[in-house]
Amino acid sequence: MTGQRWMDFAGQAIFHTLVAALVIEALVRLWGVREPQQRMGFRLLALAWPLLVVPALFLVFPVREGEAFRDARSIFAGRHWDDLAFLGAGLYGWWIAGMAVMGLALFLMDLVPWLRARSVEPPPWLARTPGGARAEEALSGAAASLGMAPPPLVFLREGQPVLYCTGTRHPAVVISSAAVDLLDPAELEGALAHELAHLERRDPTLSWALMGARALMWFNPAVQVLVRALARDAERVADERAASATGDRLALASGLLKLFRATERRFPARSAQPFPLSASLAEPIARARAHDIEQRCRALLAPAPGPVPLARLRFAAAAAGLGLLLFFVV
Amino acid sequence: MTAAGAAAMGSTVSEGARALWILVLVLGGAALSLVTLDAVPAWMHGVPRGVRPAASVAEAERRLQAKVLLPAYFPDTLRWPPSTVRFARDDGGSVALFFLGADGAPALFLAQTAGGEGTLPAALLGRLAVIQQQSAPLGAGSVLSRVVAEDGTLWNQLEWNAGGRHFLLRGRGSLEDLIRMARSIHGGVR
Repeated sequence: MTGQRWMDFAGQAIFHTLVAALVIEALVRLWGVREPQQRMGFRLLALAWPLLVVPALFLVFPVREGEAFRDARSIFAGRHWDDLAFLGAGLYGWWIAGMAVMGLALFLMDLVPWLRARSVEPPPWLARTPGGARAEEALSGAAASLGMAPPPLVFLREGQPVLYCTGTRHPAVVISSAAVDLLDPAELEGALAHELAHLERRDPTLSWALMGARALMWFNPAVQVLVRALARDAERVADERAASATGDRLALASGLLKLFRATERRFPARSAQPFPLSASLAEPIARARAHDIEQRCRALLAPAPGPVPLARLRFAAAAAGLGLLLFFVV
Repeated sequence: MTAAGAAAMGSTVSEGARALWILVLVLGGAALSLVTLDAVPAWMHGVPRGVRPAASVAEAERRLQAKVLLPAYFPDTLRWPPSTVRFARDDGGSVALFFLGADGAPALFLAQTAGGEGTLPAALLGRLAVIQQQSAPLGAGSVLSRVVAEDGTLWNQLEWNAGGRHFLLRGRGSLEDLIRMARSIHGGVR
């Protein structure tokens, strides 16, 4: 592909994602889609646009890239904004460049801390230690309530409250003694059920796939934001699965809040500075994280949301409608 | 079907209709926003949607994939190259060239279809009032008009078909020059 065609591809990938994401968000709200699994399905539709639909449109309908289609058939053509110039370059080019910078910044905001975390030696308190009978017992109870075999448990003695699941081929749950001490038995079982729900859904693999999508679409800020929304959806799905399996929504909400408060002290807003803008971004990121936890707790305090009826039909209609609309956006 | 079944079916149908209505509203709103956004550059250039600016005659030719026919006779009271080049793709495509006079004021306007003797789109021609019309010495169906522009200036306007195209030439200078230019358009008038 020529440079011009790459630019058209990047522009359409960004613009299509923006339109698809906005349309999907409007539909999710107006249709009252509250069930996290269904929300995630709709948002995945928006994510599929830049990854699958835009490349397919370029391959199958090259006529869309012609000037005749752009000027006479399209309802929106980004290149028309190149008729307006700024510092010798068209506004469409400036817009793509600005979006690419924003997309890269959003990608690096997550990638750099992740790479740094992988490059440093694990702190002493992360060394595996035997024990954790209470954690083993809670894990067995949580696994039984989810109807799955308990995965290996990595128990970390002392240190900070730590609880997460890991592994794509060899899944495991990692928990520290501090987390076990922090949570009461019902909260512990709920929190472990949440991690098991992630493993049951193969979320670690999904998160790698989403990171791959982010890397492919590093220039696309809409994709970066969309993937973050999907990650939040995955947390909500795991919350609901764990709550329905253990039957104790309040215990899970309480455990979530305790772990958040404990880890919030460990990661003060201005401590980590992976790149120059980190200091100014740390505060809003910390606030966003607190907001996410608040939303999850609110959702857990309310009754479980029911699925919206005719979900498949809605999904198909939304996909068809978006397809028709965005075919004429070049 | 039981009464409860019928009620459930009715509820599903009404829910489906509501969902469809919302979908149409959201997509319609999105389409309207996109059309509006697409019209902004043309609006900022002061031209209607569907009319596009080109940097040069060559660019207009490239984008329309058609040759733009120019007058071989070009009085030195006019400035070359054209100050503005616009084109539209409606009805097979057409192009309009605006020329300034030596004094820097608009002096000549040449529009032509890119293929076919169809009409030129009104969006390309601008709004002018015709005050007088008669046949012109440029072949059958050719028309000579006196038109008044929006700024009140009087122009002579020639319209004719030739070589499978429709032409419109409008000038503020002498009518003799205008007719001579029309006749000198290569492929335009024999």
